[in-house]
Amino acid sequence: MTTAYRIWEMIDRSKTGPHIDEDDFLPRLFTPTLKKIIKKYEIKYDAATPLPADDAMADRIWQAGWELFRDVGVYNIDSHRIIQVTDEEIREALYVAKDRYWVGGGKDARLWKHRQVEDTEPPFCIYSPDITVDEHLHHSMCAAYLKEPLLDGFCAPILENAIGQLIASGGPTEINGCIQHIYNMRAAARQLGRPGTFFVAVGTAEHDAGQIAVSNNEWGVRTTDARLVGSLTEFKTADTLLNRSVHYAQYGCYTGSLTGPIYGGWCGGSEGVAVTLVAYSLKGLLIHGAMFNQHFPFHLNYGSNTTRELLWPIAMAGQAMARNSNLLYTSNGFANAGPMTEMLFYETACHALVSTVSGWHLWEMASTRNKYRNRATPMEARLGTEVGHAVARMGMTRETANEIALKLLDRYEDQAATAPMGRQYQECYDVARALPTQEHYDMYRRVKDDIAAMGVVFPF
Amino acid sequence: MSLEELNKLVETGETEASETAARALLAQGADPLEILDSLTKTMERVGNLFADLEIFLPEVMMAGEALTAVVNIVKPELQNTSGEPARGKVVIGVVKGDLHEIGKNIVKLMLETNGFEVKDLGYDVDPLDFIKAAEEMGADFIGASSLMTTTIPRQKEIIAFLKDKGLRDKYKVVIGGAPTSQMWADMIGADLYCEDANCAAAKMAAMLDEKTA
Ligand code: B12
Repeated sequence: MTTAYRIWEMIDRSKTGPHIDEDDFLPRLFTPTLKKIIKKYEIKYDAATPLPADDAMADRIWQAGWELFRDVGVYNIDSHRIIQVTDEEIREALYVAKDRYWVGGGKDARLWKHRQVEDTEPPFCIYSPDITVDEHLHHSMCAAYLKEPLLDGFCAPILENAIGQLIASGGPTEINGCIQHIYNMRAAARQLGRPGTFFVAVGTAEHDAGQIAVSNNEWGVRTTDARLVGSLTEFKTADTLLNRSVHYAQYGCYTGSLTGPIYGGWCGGSEGVAVTLVAYSLKGLLIHGAMFNQHFPFHLNYGSNTTRELLWPIAMAGQAMARNSNLLYTSNGFANAGPMTEMLFYETACHALVSTVSGWHLWEMASTRNKYRNRATPMEARLGTEVGHAVARMGMTRETANEIALKLLDRYEDQAATAPMGRQYQECYDVARALPTQEHYDMYRRVKDDIAAMGVVFPF
Repeated sequence: MSLEELNKLVETGETEASETAARALLAQGADPLEILDSLTKTMERVGNLFADLEIFLPEVMMAGEALTAVVNIVKPELQNTSGEPARGKVVIGVVKGDLHEIGKNIVKLMLETNGFEVKDLGYDVDPLDFIKAAEEMGADFIGASSLMTTTIPRQKEIIAFLKDKGLRDKYKVVIGGAPTSQMWADMIGADLYCEDANCAAAKMAAMLDEKTA
């Protein structure tokens, strides 16, 4: 943990900080402050260059994000007060934050390090389908993901049922689902000979109680694992969320801060999303003592982040944080298309390429607008992380990456609104063996060859 | 001052300037009904621009605020109140156990900009609280948002409680949120399902017209 020692100061401020009505917080404070800051720092989106190489603007976006976080603070909707921090505290927290952490256990432990822009060190790759799945497919899907060679960390799909009962949010069935969730993950990891794999778990927990119920170093979520605490979009928190970060810190596991600024919402356009991403990383660090920040900015209408108005803020925020901090942060892809479509492969590749070259670690891949049960597979995540490794190993420059990103965008961008839904996991995977069907593998191979022809040199 | 200028001011969300302009127009003898009519069209345009993300949420909200301010000035001037755009009253919230409030907030905003009176119950709302609030407000609609399969059963509970209390026919129950569908609405006996905020305003207005017709 980095700033856990300040937990009680932060909690206290949520009781004593300035009061504002919840209805006023976003329209009267957050958005006007953000607009002013964007103007002051002359931040300007350029649709022609989804992956800019503009160090000066990256540094201005860092400053802007810092200022946004400091000037706005975080609203606790339960206490109706704002948690505010000072410049000195931000500087202190950034100084104390380490640039590397050991995660996972035993032979499967990994060193997760801060990356630079155009870093030749491959990104840390967390695999996650980010969706719900049928109960009988859950273990198979866990196994399928854990079979992936480039997987450094794993976040499993979410259960809607446990022992045949529909999970009711906040009730006893949720606790039951959470136990099932972590057992399936542990069983699959042990069966596949990687029992110490770093987990981010459990996504089935919709409430603090569900998370707390699975903290156990023998059979549950271990202290070498991480868990997430969400933000209420934008810049709001609640006691049920703070309960989580207090518990994670006291249990002794790692905390990840989960945030998804929305393009078209209170942050406005691409510039606002970029600045907000930076500000959210500081929020994760100072309010939740997060070891890493997990970001999923998305388009209000599409529910995706693979079009250029989202790639730009991902690129710029990544560079801003890479150049000005030693934080760890993952770029969570959200695609329009569904599994076993060429479009999904191209979208994932493009997201991974832009993110990696801009200093991010990877969290791949939510597909089909993150909306439909069973619609995600390890294959798209595989291609994304392979692209990440490739462009890092090549030391690819932002200029080259931008050119390739434009070629990739050319393959799918016009279909963002009408993207195909593809298949469900069980339609393009052999469920019993947790392996892709030949047709699925062939499609992946075809797209990979096409991307190689664009100039990406894959290590294998 | 022209009606066009007023519309421009409302569209760009300049509340104070809009108020001044509205007063000037009325002083010049402009027809209040005509003012409201043209502003309704402007708000429709604003809604369409937002649907295409040519403008963003904060801009819609500001335009909505400017509109409300103008309506408050123009309304008392209306001789014949039956000429006002008749829109309904709505209580809206996110069901119990669910913290996903973004979609609900957008629906609320679009309803407000379309002239509905909306009482927002926030998120994590108990089924009975929807009903209590509807009774207090004298609402026409109960709008329930749910983003998770683990919380959509709460939409059904609202309808069950309405029946238990003998209030089912008093309110139109409208549901929405990613895991909901027309099929789910039919299954639980909801009156209306809307897949997004834009169609919510239109369909609910149509429903109200049916009711009053
Ligand atoms: C953003 C988001 C979050 C944010 C929410 C921030 C906030 N304050 O709202 C955060 C990070 C906090 C979050 C947390 C969680 N989330 Co979440 N989240 C999402 C995500 C990606 C987008 C939702 C969204 O805001 N969309 C944008 C808005 C504009 O769209 P919309 O909500 O659909 O609303 C539109 C229409 O549906 C309609 N509409 C909506 N409501 C209503 C109501 C009426 C009356 C009408 C007429 C119309 C209408 O109009 C709206 C505007 O056009 C969805 C995935 C998805 N694609 O939906 C997952 C998703 C909803 N989350 C999910 C999960 C699992 C979680 C967590 C459990 C994760 C975790 N383990 O912590 C927690 C749950 C917390 C809780 N108890 O609620 C799952 C739910 C799975 C399930 N069981 O069904 C989803 C579906 C992702 C997935 N595929 O797995 N999440």
